Amino acid sequence: MDEIKISAQDVNVFYGETHALQDVNVKIRDNTVTAFIGPSGCGKSTFLRCINRMNDTIEICRVKGDILIDAEDIYDRQVDPVQLRAKVGMVFQKPNPFPKSIYDNVAYGPRIHGLARNKPELDEIVEKSLRRAALWDEAKDRLGQPGTGLSGGQQQRLCIARAVATAPEVLLMDEPCSALDPIATAQIEELIDELRQNYCVVIVTHSMQQAARVSQHTAFFHLGHLVEYGETGQIFTNPQDKRTESYITGRIG
Amino acid sequence: MQDLHIASAFDRDLEDITALIMKMGGLVESAILNSANSLVDRDVELAAKVRAGDKAIDALEIQINEEAARLIALRAPVGGDLRTVLSVMKISHNLERCGDYCKNLAKRTTVLAEMPPIGGSSNAIRRMAREVERMLKDVLDAYIQRDTELAADVRARDTEIDQMYNALFREFLTHMMEDPRNITACMHLHFIAKNIERMGDHVTSIAEQVIYVVSGEIPDEDRRKLDRTSFVGKVGG
Ligand SMILES: Nc1ncnc2c1ncn2[C@@H]1O[C@H](COP(=O)(O)OP(=O)(O)OP(=O)(O)O)[C@@H](O)[C@H]1O
Ligand SMILES: [Mg+2]
Repeated sequence: MDEIKISAQDVNVFYGETHALQDVNVKIRDNTVTAFIGPSGCGKSTFLRCINRMNDTIEICRVKGDILIDAEDIYDRQVDPVQLRAKVGMVFQKPNPFPKSIYDNVAYGPRIHGLARNKPELDEIVEKSLRRAALWDEAKDRLGQPGTGLSGGQQQRLCIARAVATAPEVLLMDEPCSALDPIATAQIEELIDELRQNYCVVIVTHSMQQAARVSQHTAFFHLGHLVEYGETGQIFTNPQDKRTESYITGRIG
Repeated sequence: MQDLHIASAFDRDLEDITALIMKMGGLVESAILNSANSLVDRDVELAAKVRAGDKAIDALEIQINEEAARLIALRAPVGGDLRTVLSVMKISHNLERCGDYCKNLAKRTTVLAEMPPIGGSSNAIRRMAREVERMLKDVLDAYIQRDTELAADVRARDTEIDQMYNALFREFLTHMMEDPRNITACMHLHFIAKNIERMGDHVTSIAEQVIYVVSGEIPDEDRRKLDRTSFVGKVGG
């Protein structure tokens, strides 16, 4: 239960001259939802992107330090980032459906990784994924229509469906509910809790209540530093750092 | 003191609820002093006033709990804010209990006023009540100031109250053994002393809330209970 899935050691990230993350050390448990919280620009998305090497795609970005998944260094030269990203799925802060049909958006991953042997199996994965992302009822009659034609909140759920379709071991979610109504939010939170049984989930959220509701561990980032990391109940009842307290209680720190 | 909230209405809500606690505390302080004075002075009118005043204390407890529920529902407090709201609910309960004990004391005063006095016991009871009142005053100050040292001091002073109670207990036993006609009055006086001792425990519990609000931890029950009266009369004890 308490096994460490992701281990970050002395992680520093630079965007050109900007020192976006400084000496981040953290061990993230498997079968656990870990929430990253902190003010805008503190480096949450940056750190999330380190975990599946998305930062590689940013020209000016340099990552120093080690990130291990299952004790394997993911920045090792032998690691194929594409393979890594199949294992470490991600839902982005801004919904980014492919310019394809709703069906193909979800079927894309399972297809390239050969997760379905035939059309009925693929159909099943697509339906199951859309159901888990609480989008099935709205999408089932328009699976052939472009994903980009959905509303913002629907697009976000489509991206969640796409991310869970490949059954990744680690799921990174960057504000997955920011454009969702309370019902869809509750459904996604329920999904996150369900995913926890089998996966390691890391979620960035600006909603303190969401962090409190869905996560077992919470990490508070501030100005590029990981200030406090602990059991969620403890962080929200008795944070140890004054900066954490100010942030979660909505104070002028 | 803590920094201000970005949402100033949140600060106002917390201030309002704290002000209610202080108001309630003030009423309980007077109830303690007035009930003890009514006993010593055999002042039945003052006793009646204390009894009637308990309604206001009860009403404040209800109001505080409603405000706390509202605050939890609307503001979803966390961290120190959450502990403040939880402590407010607990403290209002402690104060309400103290109010009840004062009311009970005032009732017994009315009965005792008809009976001959028992030595200097009512003065001793008043000394005890005054000390509990001072502890309550200090603990409310400690709450406002978030002063854990003062709270710890109040907590320690409760042992004196326990000792005063033990001494009174023995005195009443002596009076009852000397003359069985004293039994009724002594029984009333004993309940009064016991209730004041219980008030001390409630004040101690408030002191623990002060420590909880500040540190997030309830102090251990390392304060040795000095009420040994449960063992009085034990053979060989
Ligand atoms: N592609 C980029 N190029 C240059 N600087 C960047 C880039 N991405 C992020 N940064 C900088 O790195 C810092 C951390 O940004 P990041 O996006 O990780 O913050 P965040 O905590 O996710 O904020 P938010 O809550 O607003 O999403 C910021 O100062 C930001 O300006
Ligand atoms: Mg971000």
